[in-house]
Amino acid sequence: MSYELIALLMFLSMMMLLVTGQRVFGIIGFVGAIFALLLWGRGGVEMPFNAAYTLVNWYALVTLPLFVYMGYMFANAGIAGDLYRMFHVWSGPVRGGLAIGTILLMVMISAINGLSVAGMAIGATIAIPEMLRRGYDKVMITGVVQAGSSLGILIPPSVVMVLYGMIARQPVGHLWLAGVLPGLLLATMFIAYIAIRCWWQPHVGPPLPREERQMPLREKLRLLRAGISPLVIFLVMMGSFFTGITSLVESAALGAFATTIDAALKRKLTFRIFHETLRNTLGVTCMFMWVITAALAFSAVFDGLGAIKAIERIFLGWELEPWQVILMMQLSYLLLGTFLDDTAMLVIVAPLYIPLVIKLGYDPIWYGVLYTITCQIAYMTPPFGYNLFLMRAMAPKEIQLADIYRSIVPFVIIMVIAMLIVTAFPEIALWLPEKVYGR
Amino acid sequence: MPGPIRAYVRFVDGLNRIVGVFAMYIFVFLMGMLLYSSATRLVTGTSYIWVVEMAQFTMVTYYILGGGYSIQLNSHVRMDLFYSRWSDRTKAILDAITILLVIAYVVMLIRGGVASTLYAWQYGQRNYSAWAPPLWPIKSIMVVGFVLMLLQLTATFFKDLARARGESLE
Repeated sequence: MSYELIALLMFLSMMMLLVTGQRVFGIIGFVGAIFALLLWGRGGVEMPFNAAYTLVNWYALVTLPLFVYMGYMFANAGIAGDLYRMFHVWSGPVRGGLAIGTILLMVMISAINGLSVAGMAIGATIAIPEMLRRGYDKVMITGVVQAGSSLGILIPPSVVMVLYGMIARQPVGHLWLAGVLPGLLLATMFIAYIAIRCWWQPHVGPPLPREERQMPLREKLRLLRAGISPLVIFLVMMGSFFTGITSLVESAALGAFATTIDAALKRKLTFRIFHETLRNTLGVTCMFMWVITAALAFSAVFDGLGAIKAIERIFLGWELEPWQVILMMQLSYLLLGTFLDDTAMLVIVAPLYIPLVIKLGYDPIWYGVLYTITCQIAYMTPPFGYNLFLMRAMAPKEIQLADIYRSIVPFVIIMVIAMLIVTAFPEIALWLPEKVYGR
Repeated sequence: MPGPIRAYVRFVDGLNRIVGVFAMYIFVFLMGMLLYSSATRLVTGTSYIWVVEMAQFTMVTYYILGGGYSIQLNSHVRMDLFYSRWSDRTKAILDAITILLVIAYVVMLIRGGVASTLYAWQYGQRNYSAWAPPLWPIKSIMVVGFVLMLLQLTATFFKDLARARGESLE
């Protein structure tokens, strides 16, 4: 049997088994392990463990629990609630203002958090109930929270980019800086969409009633204080990292510590909250790390089959233009993303694509940004997306499954447009890292 | 379900809960160690040679020992396009079958882990680094974590079986 056929067989058997709904890490790991046994017999027995052991040397991944912890501490200790109130009062008076404020809140949360989980938790438990009470359209706000929280992986710090950096052997600092402008571009596009839609259809996002707006200016200014501590935490963490005072992992630890201190100073750090935050952090970290562990086993077999060469032969064999190859890659990601967990996809597929990207003469940093935006889309699109998954678990009862599915459509369109813009103008991603690090 | 199975499930749940809460607090140790090392470097200008590796070992211990507990917390994603539409009974029956595949994977992890640990122990395998720590301790921890995961998965198998028969072991 040819190697290509075996590789195809692996993918197909994995997808069929995933449909049964068993835990993703188990299925991916099993398929990897069983193929190792079939292909290499006794020599393949230790392969799953050796793949798992490589993670001992992935130092940058130590940032994962630290960033997850920061996000949950923000959500659980109610610091995010203060932030929401600030945006609520300041942007509430305009049409669609609460939704716009939610996007701004998400940008802020993204800047102190490396994944989308904390944004989702805050959006689903604080922002959505408030907006529902104010008569906002439930479909629109469901999309707002999902799209907004997905910025968590594009705006630094980003764990997805750390993982990409590990696999592509690219510096995390460059990748993070490259995500800043595309992230802000996306946020601006979301806000423009909300503003235009609410101007056109005022009933989907009514302005706050006069009684709620009347608040002494002093009170309003006092609310701004909620924005200070996230900003300080962001500056301390990023400042120490980009000036080189602390390493990447140490900066993450500093950020996690600063968030804890912030909660304590606001007298919101109880033992119960601390314990709960640690529990949430362990759950999310285990989910990611076990998926990565299993995906590494799968990808080791792939590697052994020479899949990198095969992919090159396939893509280069069609004699496409380089940009067409990139487009095909992104399409294949979106296609695979419907069946495969997004983290596993990165571990399995990225090692196959990145050498080709470099060979075609593209910048792997720029490609990392494209990849991350693709991930954002994959997070939101059914059947398999972390944000969808979280939304279903956390959304208030009024929001039905059909609402969640319908809500993402306009935002996915916006994200695809943004991806095309970044593809056409790589400078949007590359200008900032070049400015900071030089060429 | 027979009494011994109930007792087994109760025992495994309890054991992994204790280990899991311990793993939760490893996070505090990890954060503290990183802060301590960066603070000392800022003050004295020298860095400890053991920090990077120690942080890596701590991280691995954290999520591998926490694995069994994370199954209890239901933290792991599933592809639920179809799964979410099935009846509880159908879910339970399929879960009871497919979890055997997960168990097979974890058994292979243990098998490979034991061999790798024995090798590391016999030949005194060390990291190629300035600190050069021996590798058998972290490998043993990994094996212990995988065994705990295996226990939890078998307990989950019995729970699925019970659910399929309309009972509950929770």
